[in-house]
Formats: sequence, C-alpha cells, structure tokens
Amino acid sequence: MEQSVNYLGLIPLFPLLGAVVIGLLHVFASDKVKLPEKFYGLLACVGPVLSFILALKVFIALKALPVDSRNLSHIVFTWFSVGDLHINMGFLADPLSCLMLLFVTFIGSLIHIYSIGYMSGDKNYGKFFAYMNLFLGSMLVLVLGDSPVVMFVGWEGVGLCSYLLISFYSEDRNNVLAGNKAFIVNRIGDLGFVLGMAFLFWAIGAQGFGFIALKSHAAQLTGATSLLVCLLLFVGATGKSAQIPLYVWLPDAMAGPTPVSALIHAATMVTAGVYMVARFSFIYAPVELAGNIIAWVGILTALLAAIFGMYQDDIKKILAYSTVSQLGYMFAGVGVAAYSAGIFHVFTHAFFKALLFLGAGSVIYALHHEQNIWKMGGLKSKMPKTYITMVIGALALAGCPPFSGFFSKDEILYSALATGHFGIWMVGVLVAGMTAFYTFRMIFLVFHGTPRDQKAFDHAQESPNVMTVPLIILAVGALFAGFLNLPGIFGGSQMVSHWLAPSLTEHHPHASLFLEILAIGTSILAFVIGIKIAYSKFGQGATEPAFKGFANFAYHKFYVDELYNAIIVQPYKAIGASIWKTIDPNVTDGPVKAASKLYMTIGTAFKVFQVGYVRIYAIYMIVGLSLMTLFLSQSLN
Amino acid sequence: MIHNYLFLSCILFCLGIVGVISRRNVFTVFMSIELMLNAANLAFVTFSRIHESMDGHVLAMMVMAVAAAEAALALAVVILLHKHKSKLDTNVFSLLKG
Amino acid sequence: MSFVITLISLAGLYALLSAKLIFALQLIVYAGAIMSLIVFIIMFLNIQPDDLPKEETKLLYILGSMVVVLPIGLFLFKIVKSLPITSTEIIGNNFGGVKQVGLLLFKDWLVPFEIVSILLLISLIGAVVLAGKRGMSK
Repeated sequence: MEQSVNYLGLIPLFPLLGAVVIGLLHVFASDKVKLPEKFYGLLACVGPVLSFILALKVFIALKALPVDSRNLSHIVFTWFSVGDLHINMGFLADPLSCLMLLFVTFIGSLIHIYSIGYMSGDKNYGKFFAYMNLFLGSMLVLVLGDSPVVMFVGWEGVGLCSYLLISFYSEDRNNVLAGNKAFIVNRIGDLGFVLGMAFLFWAIGAQGFGFIALKSHAAQLTGATSLLVCLLLFVGATGKSAQIPLYVWLPDAMAGPTPVSALIHAATMVTAGVYMVARFSFIYAPVELAGNIIAWVGILTALLAAIFGMYQDDIKKILAYSTVSQLGYMFAGVGVAAYSAGIFHVFTHAFFKALLFLGAGSVIYALHHEQNIWKMGGLKSKMPKTYITMVIGALALAGCPPFSGFFSKDEILYSALATGHFGIWMVGVLVAGMTAFYTFRMIFLVFHGTPRDQKAFDHAQESPNVMTVPLIILAVGALFAGFLNLPGIFGGSQMVSHWLAPSLTEHHPHASLFLEILAIGTSILAFVIGIKIAYSKFGQGATEPAFKGFANFAYHKFYVDELYNAIIVQPYKAIGASIWKTIDPNVTDGPVKAASKLYMTIGTAFKVFQVGYVRIYAIYMIVGLSLMTLFLSQSLN
Repeated sequence: MIHNYLFLSCILFCLGIVGVISRRNVFTVFMSIELMLNAANLAFVTFSRIHESMDGHVLAMMVMAVAAAEAALALAVVILLHKHKSKLDTNVFSLLKG
Repeated sequence: MSFVITLISLAGLYALLSAKLIFALQLIVYAGAIMSLIVFIIMFLNIQPDDLPKEETKLLYILGSMVVVLPIGLFLFKIVKSLPITSTEIIGNNFGGVKQVGLLLFKDWLVPFEIVSILLLISLIGAVVLAGKRGMSK
C-alpha cells in the first residue's frame, strides 16, 4: 500500500532552490552590491533546515502507519515514457530512506551553520554555499528517488558537486587535479552503476522500474544475471563510497574546504554506495557470492586504509583514511547481509565523522590552515570545547563503549561472526585496534604534549560559537546515537533495526550468547590495546619520526597512486595522443571531408540546370512528362 | 466521328505546350496557356456530349472562370514586368538562377 | 489574330456539341472579355518593337519542343483511339440549355461554384493591387 504525500518533493527542492538563488545572487550581485556574508550563510541554512523539518514530518507520518505499509510516495511528473514504460520523477519515503533523510538533513544543516564561521572571509562565499546546497539537494534526490533512474540523477549530482567543491580553491592546480581525480574515478564507478541498471532493466524492468515494482519482481532474476547486476552495481558503489580499487580519490578530496570534507564523508556522497546496496538488498540478499565479494572488498579496504591512516601526518588525511576504513566496515556489514547494521554504522558514522572533521576544521582554522599534525600539539588548553568534542568523536570512532561507534561496529562484527565469516571478523577486530591507534595518535599529537610550533600555538584560539555549537550538538549525537540500536544483551531493543526492517530484505542471525560476548569482548580488547600503544608512543609528546621500510611504504600509500598512474593513466594518455595525431585527421576526418567535397562537386554540377528562366523549367517539366508518357504508352499496348 | 473533337483537343493542347516552352514573348506564352485551357474545355464538353450529362458543361464554366481570373492576374503581372524592365521577355526573369 | 479565330471556331464546335450555354459563354468571356483585355493591355503599354524579345532561334526551339511534345500527343491520341465509339444521335432540346445547366450548377455544384466566385473576387483584388502599384509607389 502506498500513500501519496506532496511535501515529499519539497525536501530536495529546498536546498536546490537555495542553490539556484544563492548562485544567481552570487553571480549578479557580487559586482555591484557587496552582500554581507551572513546573508548568504543564513540563506544557505534555510534550505537544509526546512528539509530537516519536513524530514521529521515524514518520520512522524511513517511512524503513524502500520509497520508493513510504511511507504510514502509522491510522483512529481512523468519524466519520460517509452511505450508502456513510464519513468517518473517520483520520490519514495520508506523507513530506510527516512532514516537517511533525517541524518543527512540534520548533519547537513549543522555543517552549513558551521560553514558560516569557517568560510568567513573567503571571497567566493556565495559560490561555496550554492555548491553546498546543490550537494545536499542532490544527495536528497539520491536518497528519495523512487527508481534507480531518479537515484542516478542524484548520484551524478553528488559526483558533480564533489568535483566542484573539491576543486573549490581553484587557484591551486593541485586542488583542481584532485577534483579531476575524484570526478574521473567516480565516473568509472558510475559506468558500473549504469551498466548494472541496464542489466537490471533488461532482466526484470519491463513491468515497472520503481523500487517497489522491482522488489516484487526480484524473484525472476536468475543466478548469473543477478550476480552480474550485483557486481556491476557494486562497482558503482566502490566508486562513490571509495572502496578498493577506486578509493584513491577520497584522500585527495581533502583539498576542498574542511566543511566540504565533512559533508562528503559524513552526510553525503560516500554513504551513497552503502545506501544503494541496502536499497537493492532484495537483489543482494539471495546472492551469497556477491555478498561475500562485497564483504571481503570492504574489509580489505578497511585494513588497507587503516594501515595508511597510521602513517599519515596530515590531520585531514588521517580522517579521510579513517572514513575509507569505516566505509569498509559498512560494506563488510552489508556484504554479510546485515543491512541494518551497515546502515546503522552509516548513521552513527555520520555523527562522529562530521564531528571529527568539523573539529579538525576548527583546529585548522585556529592555526591558520596548518594541517600537519607534527606542527601541532598542546592545544588542549587553548581550545577546550574543540578538544572535548574531538575526544568524544575519537572515542566513538575507535569504538569505545558506550559511544555510538562501538555499538554499530560491534553489530557488524557480530553479524560477520554469526554468519560464519570468521576471516572477516578477524580482520575487522584487527582494524578496530588499528583505528583506535591512529585516532588517538592524532588526538595525542594535536592536543596533548608540548606545542611544536610555538608561533602558531600562540595565535591559536577557540573558534567562534557558530562553529563550536554544531560541534557540541554533534558530540551529543555521537555519544547517544548508539543507544538507538542497543543490542539485546545490554537490555536494548534494537530500535533502528526494527525500524528499518520493512524496507530491507535480511534475516537476523541468531547466534549464541557466547558469540555475542566474544565479539564485544574482542572489540573492547582491540580498542584498549590500540589506545594503549598510541598512548605509550605519542601520549607524552613525540617528535616527527623518519619513516623507514614498511612505514615509508605505507606513508606513500603503497604507491598505489603512482601505480595507477603508470599502468592506467599513462597508457591511456599515449593512446589518446596517438589517436589524436594519426587516426583523427586521416581516418575519422577523411570520410567527412570527402563527403563534403562530393556534395560540393555534385552541387556545382547541378547548378548548370538552374538557369533561372521559367521557360526552361517548364521544358524540364514537359520533358519529364513526355518521358513518362513514352513509358506509359508502351505499357498501354 | 465524335472522336475528331477529341483529336482536335489533343492538337490544341500540344500546340499550347509548344508555345509555352518555345516562345519568349510574354503575350504568346499567355495565349498558349489559354489555348491549353480551351483544349481542356473542348474535351470536357465533348465527353459531356458522349455521356449525355451536363456536368462537363459546369466544369467548363468553372474553367472559364478560372481562366478569366488567371488572365486578370497574368496581365497585371505583365504590366508590372513592363514597368520594371521595359521588356516583354520571359528570359528577363532569372531570379531563380542557382 | 489567329487566336481570336481559333476561339470563335471553338465556340462553333461547342454549338455543334449542343452546348448552348458554353457556346454563348465562350463568345462572351473569351472572344469578348479576355481578348479585349489582352488587346487593351498591349495598347496600354505602348509596346515598341525593341521591347519584344528577338527570338532568332525561334524555329529551332519550336522544332525541339515539338519533338519533346510528340510523345505526349501520341499518347493522348492513343488513348482517344482506344475509347469506345459511341453513337451520337440527336438528343432533345433540353440538353445543354441555360436552364438545365443553371439548375445543375446551383443544385449539385453549389459549393465549387461559390469557391470559384471567391477565387474571382480574390483575383480581382489581386489584379488591382498588382497593377495599381504604379500609382502607389510614387
């Protein structure tokens, strides 16, 4: 049963409208009248906040419905129709998209508010907020789309906006290159998504291509096609959600302003892949092989990113790799068919990662855009609010009970264990320890010990309220979000899982209490070990080490970028150049030029007949007529 | 015997065509066209006689009316032509030359 | 002029075909109106011999176009020949009279008649506009 609510379309409309208005204002007003920055900022915040309020309304409306029919939809217009197939520009709100909606708009709004402070003084203030609104709007389209096609619109939209925002400081060529990289890598993933969509349509799309219609026909998918669709869609997800082998863009995406990083990592963009897999859970659930591949890719990404994360010295890059690592967890979760656990981790991750990024932004802002952690230190006393909130975020990220990250991460690890994926669980626990290590390495280096750069330290001061208030709100979220899905062993009722149940196809594994305790115990143990090593190494202040051997290898990210450059980018460049120089002028242009020449010649030849005398034209006519009658009179006999 | 009317009609029509395409004098061309119309008229009336129905007469009248209209317009054009080019030669008009 | 003679003799032929109305109209419209219009225009334009085109290759053209037209003529002849020969007995006085044709015209052919009347009106206006430009343009 579906119910139509017309305000659903308004949710993405508000930020998009904001983007248009701000963009126009920025283009037309900036030359003549200098609008105050606050004006842009407030205008930009209106859209997300309104969307959040509407999202709450959707939530309440859904809540009022019986569990089995929690679907709200609204078809805005028919986008295009071919024969009997109608692709609608429609929106669908079910428990899954509603949860995404809530935290995307909530965190998006907070990041917008934070940006007012962070971006003050930037000359492209208006442009920044226009892009941010567009970004959020695209994400909301992605979340709310009622068919893969509409989802793809949002999918491309966030890709475009990430490009625009990553290369926001476009004066620096490196930033532009980072933007390009993000865009191109995403494009590879998008190809997978489009192909997957095409195969899906080919297989079962004929009776309707909305998610609901697809879900009811999912049983018709046969083995090979279904595996193919799963893997192709997963390629799309690896691009957007930065998994092996397409994760390379995300660390480079740090070139953008810090709120953008927060938005990309927490609320939008990277979570799209996980969301998409959960959306298609009705396809993924029966295909165990695809699930295994996804889980392994995810957990290996988590491991790899954690290794990289341990050796970075840029505060934002550490956080970036931690995001990649956490995304790996999420994919491991959805891979072992624990979709609600994966989405729950998306949910909690959104809080603490936004918190960490905004906190890091606050530090960077205080230190005048210094990002190297080896030049920080001792900031605890200077920036108490940032410090406390950052620590909360770090604890949540590292998986310390009772912070939110602990519950969601544990849920994933427990699911892996319960479904018999022992290897995934082992790696997961290892990564959990490493996460604790590199997170607290960062915290200790930045906030504890003695200042390494005295001059920067002296200038540092606490950020303005407009930045710290969102931090505090997020910290509260990071603290308590986990309780929403408290597992039974702690007396909770797993509210989120039950909430999500109608829109996902999954079966909760029921394992013994022993396994649950084992999972929780080992996670806590890993966390403690990780934090202890970090403390013993960096707790009392440490100097910048010279990386050797493996560390150096990891510091340079295993030279993956260089490898990709050598084996993919360079050959393509060479092929492109050779095509451009030889094939293009001779093979491609040849026929075109010949054709044009041919028509020129024919035209000149026929020009002779166009003498311009009416009489001659009459003669042509009569000649034709007489020829015709000659022919006819022959047939007459 | 009645076929002779039709033969005459054919001859007149062909003469009209020859006149249209071979002469350059505007008046001659115009008169040739009239000749063709008359040939058609003759055929109409003859067929009407053969079939003993008067529809052919009505059609002939229509053709005459059309011919009259055409004559009026054509002569107006001739006046314009003479005014602009002071020539009565169809070859003067070569605006359609490619 | 031979054209006038042709038209008048055609009128005679109409009469022979017992088409009384057409006979009268042929004389009035063609021999009367259109011919006088042509003659009037020729006089009105005051045409000099220089104005007329010198057609040195006229004969050649006529021969050439005759060759071209010959197949058409032959074709038409063939068709006429292939028609069945019908008897042409004398028919009553009523055939082709003004009254009969008029009745037919206003009963079965009313709409085409009206269209033709509109056409005539338009051509009248058009002729006035085209030829009258001389006065307006100056």
